[in-house]
Amino acid sequence: MFATRTIARPARRLCAAPQCLSLARSLSTTPAIKAQHASSDATSGTSTPKKRKPLTQEQRDFLSSALRVNQSGELAAVLIYTAQGPPILRKHPHLRTLMAHMHDQEAEHFKTFNKLIHKHRVRPSALYPLWSVMATGLGWSTAVMGREAAMACTEAVETEIGGHYNAQIRTLLEMVGQWEAEGYEVGAEFTDLLSTLRRIRDEELEHLDHALENDAKAAEPHWLLTGVIRAGCRGAIWVSERV
Amino acid sequence: MACPTSARAALRASIRPLQTVAASPSTSTSSSLYRRHYHSYDHPPPPGPFGATESAILAAAYKHVPEHGFTQTALTHGARDAGLPDISPSVLTNGPFTLIKYHLITQRQALAERSRQLFERDDAPAGVGGKVAALTWERLLANKDIIHRWQEALAVMAQPSYVPESIKELAALSDEIWFLAGDTAVDPSWYTKRATLSMVYTTTELFMTNDHSPDYVETGKFLTRRLDEVKSVGGALGNIGQWVGFTANAGINILRSKGVRI
Repeated sequence: MFATRTIARPARRLCAAPQCLSLARSLSTTPAIKAQHASSDATSGTSTPKKRKPLTQEQRDFLSSALRVNQSGELAAVLIYTAQGPPILRKHPHLRTLMAHMHDQEAEHFKTFNKLIHKHRVRPSALYPLWSVMATGLGWSTAVMGREAAMACTEAVETEIGGHYNAQIRTLLEMVGQWEAEGYEVGAEFTDLLSTLRRIRDEELEHLDHALENDAKAAEPHWLLTGVIRAGCRGAIWVSERV
Repeated sequence: MACPTSARAALRASIRPLQTVAASPSTSTSSSLYRRHYHSYDHPPPPGPFGATESAILAAAYKHVPEHGFTQTALTHGARDAGLPDISPSVLTNGPFTLIKYHLITQRQALAERSRQLFERDDAPAGVGGKVAALTWERLLANKDIIHRWQEALAVMAQPSYVPESIKELAALSDEIWFLAGDTAVDPSWYTKRATLSMVYTTTELFMTNDHSPDYVETGKFLTRRLDEVKSVGGALGNIGQWVGFTANAGINILRSKGVRI
């Protein structure tokens, strides 16, 4: 047994040598889907002979948990606005266009992340049903408490979400910047992801502005409501990044 | 304790020229190892599960499986065929299980190519359900050459230390089948679909090890029956869910129309 181990080690080390890896990479056959994709964005693929760096395990982990948490977050946002709708609109019909606008934007974000999750083969959050129930409950209960409370809920959620998207964008920019510094090419996959995240972040922050315009600060007690909801959001983000 | 230095030197010497030969099998199988993690279309895939020497031995040993089973003997024959000393299979720390894993991984990855051929044809199954059935059947047929050795392999896979990796491979297979079939659902049904397909696949595979009918007709019928059962149970659960949702919604709306402030 001992003898086998001593042989096993040097042989492994040989296989892990960088030259062996780079050889493997240059010979790698592109799977069909990938080839199709490459031909569809041929402008970035064929004109530049630069190579793209393989993603590290850490970067993959970050990207999967980022997509997973974003999908769960947008699911929750859609359900919050859906549940807030009827009780709020009964008392304040003039908010109909605003609520519909915010809901439609969230529905579009949700669809975007559903597509990305499927495309990049990330598993959705296992607590999906729990997020659905909790988001509906949060939306409905704040709406029953009144317009100000509902807007304070939007304020709290969108503040957390805006910060969360910003943190993701920062990490992605670091990744991309490092590739560029090392002379690697950055593909359309990542530039598209960055622009999508930026657009969605801006729309979320726009919702925050709408909430503040509609007296979110007048909710009683404002500090307690936003404090509890923000803490809940942070907890949910932490959990759905992992499960 | 005495380390066979000559054998080690021989192994080291023979590995170098072998890399060029071995690189092709290892890289063609490396496309989608970490499937549960972000799958990039722009960036090169991570290195495959087996190193160059490992896949050289495994590819050669795999040809001996129908005769010798998933055993150390097959590995030794494989090493000889690959031009390596008999001792070299010891680089595979899990021995025969690595050979089983090689079978599982290569056959799973071959599915992508098979699915393209299958679904290009005019008589390709239309719906996702039909595609899943077709792909599952393809994967089962890939066991054809070694099915008489598969019960031994299942026994090895059931050893406690190998169970987690075997289950991971099974999950990867059902994920691959649903993805190739073009299923885009990313809600909780993502989990139930993969779990039920894994169950159907393992039971059918077990049935196949005892099936002596020509072209595994009986296995095919067995698979169809299991998939139909899953479909009818899933359909019933879906209907119940729809009815509950509709009734709850209607109830809330009636209360709202009566002026209840909810």
